[in-house]
Amino acid sequence: MNKLIRIISRFVTFGALAISTAFTHLHSEDTVKVGILHSLSGTMAISETSLRDVLLFTFDEINASGGVLGKMIEPVEADGASDWPTFAEKAEELLAKDEASAVFGCWTSVSRKFVLPVFEKYNGLLFYPVQYEGEEESPNIFYTAEAVGQQAIPAVDYLLEEGYTKFYLIGTDYVYPQTTNIVLFEYLLSKGIPVENIGGGIRYEGDVAVSAGNYTPFGHTDFQQIVAEIKDFAASGGACVVNTINGDANVPFFKEIASSGLTSDDCPIVSFSLSEDEFRGLPTKDLVGHLGCWTYFMSIDSPANDAFKANFQEWLADSAPAAVQKEGRVTCSPMVLSYNGVYLWKAAVEKAGTFETDAVIAALESGISFDGPGGKVTTQENHHLTKSVYIGETLEDGQFDILEVMPDVYGEPWLKGTFK
Amino acid sequence: MIATCNLQETQVHLYTPSRSLLLDYKRRIFRLVVSLLIVCSASARDARSVMADLILSEKAQQGDLIEELSTFGDTIITEIYEAWRTGEIYLLDQESSSQLLQFTTSQQWALIKNGEVINLTEAEVEKAKKMRPARALRKQMKRIIDTLGLKAADASLRIDSAIKLGRSQKLEFIPSLEARLLIEPAKEVQLALKEALAISQLANGNEAEVMDAVRSLADLKSVASRAFLQTVLAQEIENERGDEPLAEACQQALSKIETHIKQQEFFGSFFRGISTGSVLLIVSFGLAITFGLMGVINMAHGEFVAIGGYVTFLVQNLFIQVWGLSSSAFGWYFIVALPTSFIVAAAMGFLMEKSIIRFLYRRPLESLLCTWGISMIMQQSFRLIFGAANVQVNNPTWLMGNLSFGGFQMSYTRLLIILIALIVVALTWLLLRQTNLGLHIRAVMQNRDMASSLGVPVARVNTMTFALGCGLAALGGAVLSQIGNVGPSMGQAYIVDSFMVVVTGSVGNLLGAGLSAMGIGLVDQLLQPSLGPVLGKITVFIVIILFLQWRPGGLFPARSRSLED
Repeated sequence: MNKLIRIISRFVTFGALAISTAFTHLHSEDTVKVGILHSLSGTMAISETSLRDVLLFTFDEINASGGVLGKMIEPVEADGASDWPTFAEKAEELLAKDEASAVFGCWTSVSRKFVLPVFEKYNGLLFYPVQYEGEEESPNIFYTAEAVGQQAIPAVDYLLEEGYTKFYLIGTDYVYPQTTNIVLFEYLLSKGIPVENIGGGIRYEGDVAVSAGNYTPFGHTDFQQIVAEIKDFAASGGACVVNTINGDANVPFFKEIASSGLTSDDCPIVSFSLSEDEFRGLPTKDLVGHLGCWTYFMSIDSPANDAFKANFQEWLADSAPAAVQKEGRVTCSPMVLSYNGVYLWKAAVEKAGTFETDAVIAALESGISFDGPGGKVTTQENHHLTKSVYIGETLEDGQFDILEVMPDVYGEPWLKGTFK
Repeated sequence: MIATCNLQETQVHLYTPSRSLLLDYKRRIFRLVVSLLIVCSASARDARSVMADLILSEKAQQGDLIEELSTFGDTIITEIYEAWRTGEIYLLDQESSSQLLQFTTSQQWALIKNGEVINLTEAEVEKAKKMRPARALRKQMKRIIDTLGLKAADASLRIDSAIKLGRSQKLEFIPSLEARLLIEPAKEVQLALKEALAISQLANGNEAEVMDAVRSLADLKSVASRAFLQTVLAQEIENERGDEPLAEACQQALSKIETHIKQQEFFGSFFRGISTGSVLLIVSFGLAITFGLMGVINMAHGEFVAIGGYVTFLVQNLFIQVWGLSSSAFGWYFIVALPTSFIVAAAMGFLMEKSIIRFLYRRPLESLLCTWGISMIMQQSFRLIFGAANVQVNNPTWLMGNLSFGGFQMSYTRLLIILIALIVVALTWLLLRQTNLGLHIRAVMQNRDMASSLGVPVARVNTMTFALGCGLAALGGAVLSQIGNVGPSMGQAYIVDSFMVVVTGSVGNLLGAGLSAMGIGLVDQLLQPSLGPVLGKITVFIVIILFLQWRPGGLFPARSRSLED
């Protein structure tokens, strides 16, 4: 009897061993680790969680159709916790410990600035999906995001075309609005807009006007003074507002605008940080008629976008993890740029035939195209994308009515000083 | 004029060029139009059919149709256009024929071409597609609408329209402005018309007319004309006539307007200071009671403010569910939300005092840590219940808009906040000074043991006071929902300000809290125009630090229980 038990137990141990070796084998050989580096807690979690969700969806979609080079994508989630040093730590962990082949992540420019040296040190590969201020080109980062030339400049072009001659610049006090406004200021001057027609306070260096803009702290709540200034500025007509306020400070701003009686016909406001996803938490009634400019809108009418939206909703309903919020989900530009980034990475890996970082970067630099939900995107040698830019008007249901499409806009990060 | 438009033919082009038509408009919003369709006269019928053609037209035809529209002087154009702009116009595409319909105030369907009311079956209602004008077309339509605006029934619309026509400086509008000036009954509109005419003359008149225009603009102190006067002045200087009478008159006019703007700015900042002060006061008054009077360092104060916001959100949703967003009853939700949020938060404050706070009365450090913990638990519960994202709170329609007098405007929301702040202060004062409970509260706050030995029910008074403080905090939250965000961390934005107000105004002194809120608000708003929001805020903090160095006890230093401990 004892003998029998011994035999059985040996058998079981052996079996378990065999299975576990097979399992580790499967893990190390048939999957490729890919990092997700977003804030899943803290103030930025509201925006960044959506990007985590769409990345998980994209990985599932790719795995269902056979993976990358025959390997399944194994996502490793890292929580940046809206804290910039944490982003750097987590990036190091993803690259050094998990040896992630590619990392998709970051939202705020300051988090990107913190992880940049880490990616350069470990020769990693980061895909950055959110509109940003430019003036950066790391060999280890691909910017699927809108550069200033793909968002702010086209929007201002549109407003100039519409006959607006006075521009009021307002933003949150940090690197993205400040840098964007320096570029915009130079651009407006180059288009023949006189300095006195640019509102929000001119900044001088010596005697030379270098930038403009009224900047508020993060989470600012009292916009009375600024709105009074804008009303004064708009009194003689032809005025519009370029808004780079980030996050929920937009709510008190637009509420104040709405109650001041300034309408979008008198003085339209074009916002660069408000997409469909942000509208879920905003009283869109106060925003109707104001403008947005992105390289994707949920309302784009194309088979690729219809399929993307339908697949995403289906994934939410059927196979999304429990942590993902399922009701009332929309798609927006940063989400689609994350999605595009994964597919561009996949195409580059397949072109290079390896997951090795240098080879993948070389493949990306050679120019890879992908027909995404927002139209065709193509990688450039300068690590940015050529893509279509859309200008839309906010509707009451939190969607955009597309007013103008600018196809195949080249992504140029170095704009400062080019409009002299 | 295109008398009858063959819709079957046009519809093919219709849906391809215009993006707005392609959008998915399945969701039908049964909202109301601004006004009922007026019984149509003969000319209205013409204007109607041209409008119908315009709605269905392609880009190439629009110019002609708009030209044609401008020959009508009929206000029906404005009404149909408004309905079109706000998405009340639908196209019903049927096998045999297509019809343009308007969904009117009385929840009926009316034909655009003649205003006739018709009934639709459910299937037809499902099928109707919402139409929206393209932005380019709206810009063109504005000219017609603006001229028609001079005939609007509402005086403020007439003023808007006059100023817009003047600002365009187009010669073609001068006759209609002059014609209106002759028959205009309202004085303010007359002034606006004069201003508009003068601005227009700056670009169109001969030398004498321009001179007159400059003088009258100076008399009118017209802010809108500033840029136009500057242009005239710049031209004069460019043509080396900088010292001639016209240039001088321009300079005088500009300096007169400039002085006027400065005055307005000062009064504006003053009002905004009072309004910011009122927000601070409403938010911090609850804390002035729990921290100031009772000595509980209540770090969860901000979360009670958030409760107020969320209760307002819930009441709003209830109203939307029962009566609908566009009903007149919806406007009342805010009035209901104010006492509801007070009661809900007071009840929670009651429970919190009974279960936790009452064990912490002589232990300030523990109460700080404990209430901080509670604040985190509450924030996380908001996230679990309502989600991490902010929730939408809409303003009732009667709170939108503003009151303008003497050239500057105050929005109704801000005025209401000032009013509520006054009421809160008055009621709290009455409660503390004129009631038995108030007497007990003051006795307990001054000396708990003595009050107790004199037969004051100390435990009950403590509970009631704490509940009152929490209720007031939530009242603040309900008010804030009208001007800002409602979200899990909304309280965090105000907790620092609240403590600042209470400490500056002397812990334990309600009058001090009121005065310090107003003082901080005024300093903040008066500094902002010159320093900007970021530097302004920093300066306010520095001013407060210096003030507390000078008077460590705040405005009205008093001995309270927490200081004696």
